[in-house]
Amino acid sequence: MSQPKEIFVRTDRCVGCRSCITACAVEHSASKTLFGAIAETPRPKSRVYVEWVAPDHKVPLVCRHCEDAPCMHACISGAIHRDADGVVRTDADKCIGCWTCVMVCPYGVIGRHLEEHKAYRCDRCPDREIPACVDACPTGALVYQTVPAYSGAARQHASRELVQAEGG
Amino acid sequence: MPPGSLSKRKGVDVNEHQSQYVIVGGSAAGMAAAHTIRAKDVRGTITVLSEEPDVPYFRPLIPFLVSGQKQPEDMALTGSGPYMGADIAVKTGARVAACDPDSRSLTLEDGTCYGYEKVLFATGSRPYVPPEIEGTGAEGVFALRTLADARSMAARAARTAHAVMLGGGLLNLKAAFALLERGVKVTLVVYSPEVLSQLMDPEDAYLVRKALDDAGLTIHTGASATAIQSDPSGVTGVALDNGEELACQMVCIGKGVRPNVEFLQGSGVAVDGGIVADRFTAASRPDTYAAGDVAVTHDPISGAPIMTALWTNAVEMGRCAGMNMAGIKTAYTGTFGILNATQVADEPFVAMGVVHTRSGDYEIHRRATATTFRKLVFDPGGNRLVGAVFVGDIRNAGLYRYVIRERMDVTGFKPAIIDHTLHYGHFIC
Ligand SMILES: Cc1cc2nc3c(=O)[nH]c(=O)nc-3n(C[C@H](O)[C@H](O)[C@H](O)COP(=O)(O)OP(=O)(O)OC[C@H]3O[C@@H](n4cnc5c(N)ncnc54)[C@H](O)[C@@H]3O)c2cc1C
Ligand code: SF4
Ligand code: SF4
Repeated sequence: MSQPKEIFVRTDRCVGCRSCITACAVEHSASKTLFGAIAETPRPKSRVYVEWVAPDHKVPLVCRHCEDAPCMHACISGAIHRDADGVVRTDADKCIGCWTCVMVCPYGVIGRHLEEHKAYRCDRCPDREIPACVDACPTGALVYQTVPAYSGAARQHASRELVQAEGG
Repeated sequence: MPPGSLSKRKGVDVNEHQSQYVIVGGSAAGMAAAHTIRAKDVRGTITVLSEEPDVPYFRPLIPFLVSGQKQPEDMALTGSGPYMGADIAVKTGARVAACDPDSRSLTLEDGTCYGYEKVLFATGSRPYVPPEIEGTGAEGVFALRTLADARSMAARAARTAHAVMLGGGLLNLKAAFALLERGVKVTLVVYSPEVLSQLMDPEDAYLVRKALDDAGLTIHTGASATAIQSDPSGVTGVALDNGEELACQMVCIGKGVRPNVEFLQGSGVAVDGGIVADRFTAASRPDTYAAGDVAVTHDPISGAPIMTALWTNAVEMGRCAGMNMAGIKTAYTGTFGILNATQVADEPFVAMGVVHTRSGDYEIHRRATATTFRKLVFDPGGNRLVGAVFVGDIRNAGLYRYVIRERMDVTGFKPAIIDHTLHYGHFIC
């Protein structure tokens, strides 16, 4: 892939229905079906989050696979690397659950799998053409696009600046 | 330069090498710098000189060798994470004994010389062994720092029923858990009134303390060792200043670290505790740089000079030094002295920025539940967050770090900080 795609968020379109969360958890379950996923222990975890800000903003959040990924450089065990498609991955085998990545991610999108004592995050759904969250979003609040193709909202730029400051 | 061909010629010192970039110390700071240089300068030769016999590894993982959960090959740095190791020559067993910035050269202990155009000092630190404790030279006394230490500790653990850890810092706790994992009984002797005194005030550490007690550690606070007893088999016990004697077969000293700066004696490179680095990671002589545990840097909030002992900081500073060495002038933003995340027993915690608040003027918010504790420390005006401690629930800790580091005005979302409900949406809506 010469120009990797990214998941972009259009907060103005999010209605807070949490379809993305369900779809992500199902995609990362053993059965990959909703009914199977509900029955699994430990419960399959979503890697996308929808937060709320007064008066009534909904903000879907997912790992941005940052350019200078702070989590990757901070990891004390070499468990985080960037793959050929530009996706920043956490290798569960190497992860020791020290939570250093949680301490440095400025977006708060690394989850802690307490049962397995491992960190987890968005893996861009390696088995799918389009990530499950994007596929499930009924309003187009999640967009899967290459960077130049997405002539994005100012908010996206605001978040990029945050990462740049962080990258130091 | 092929040294083999030169060795046949008379009058030429066979032991001279030249590399554009030479890095002393092949750990967090050194290897991060080497990879950053390589990303910016594809051709320049890079040589890393490392005293240790092992190829670079993730130092924080060594307790897992003691516990038996990982092998050295699982800890190798090259090929893991961001360290793909392209064309970086690493010489192990190469201890630099002297540096001469006038001739831009380094001399190893064995007499070999390395010429450089730019040099990075990333020699890190070593454990401090208090001289007032007698008998620290005995077999079975450890201060866990290197893979080699971990190997001998693992070997000794097989013959150890009881180990005494001197010092209640994070490193000793990690070593303690590794030994517990092996079925060794472990006693922690802590001079401070509570464990982890570097990372939190005693009254804030109770959940961590409870987790340690529950995990089966025996903890003596307010005591210190005066002497280590031994016989030809090695350690047999520890005498404490309260008159107590603890029989044991292993002692582990965790009393902090000291920077490795001795090789710079006579070099003219300014050392004040550690190697003094400017805002662009440069040391005081031309084309010399410093990064990691060995460097004196500055606190981003107070501007005060500090030294840290953190992998994450060492990597960040090493990357910054790498940029500067490759000719891309990059300011180091400085760092907090305290920036720790970890999990001991089943208790995750994060401590960052200003965490000690017994003296000083701060606005402090503490909240506790049966299973969680948090403390948020603001400046006296109450609109800048300066420190945070989270125990039990460390959700979104990275956002708080960001707020502290960027000295954000928190007026718009202060309640969310105090309630530990801050999320990224608060920054953009
Ligand atoms: C058991 C353990 C657990 C830890 N856990 C954490 C953690 O969870 N989080 C965290 O942030 N930090 C942790 N740390 C601290 C972290 O490992 C250090 O802060 C970090 O390794 C510092 O990196 P550095 O590159 O500055 O120096 P070092 O890692 O100390 O490496 C310096 C290297 O230089 C070599 N050297 C020294 N002098 C010379 C010389 N004259 N010539 C050639 N080579 C030389 C040394 O042998 C060494 O290999 C832990 C440390 C230990 C020991
Ligand atoms: S810092 Fe956070 S958002 Fe960026 S790559 Fe890492 S986990 Fe993803
Ligand atoms: S929790 Fe796992 S992935 Fe995150 S920093 Fe620690 S070892 Fe690395």
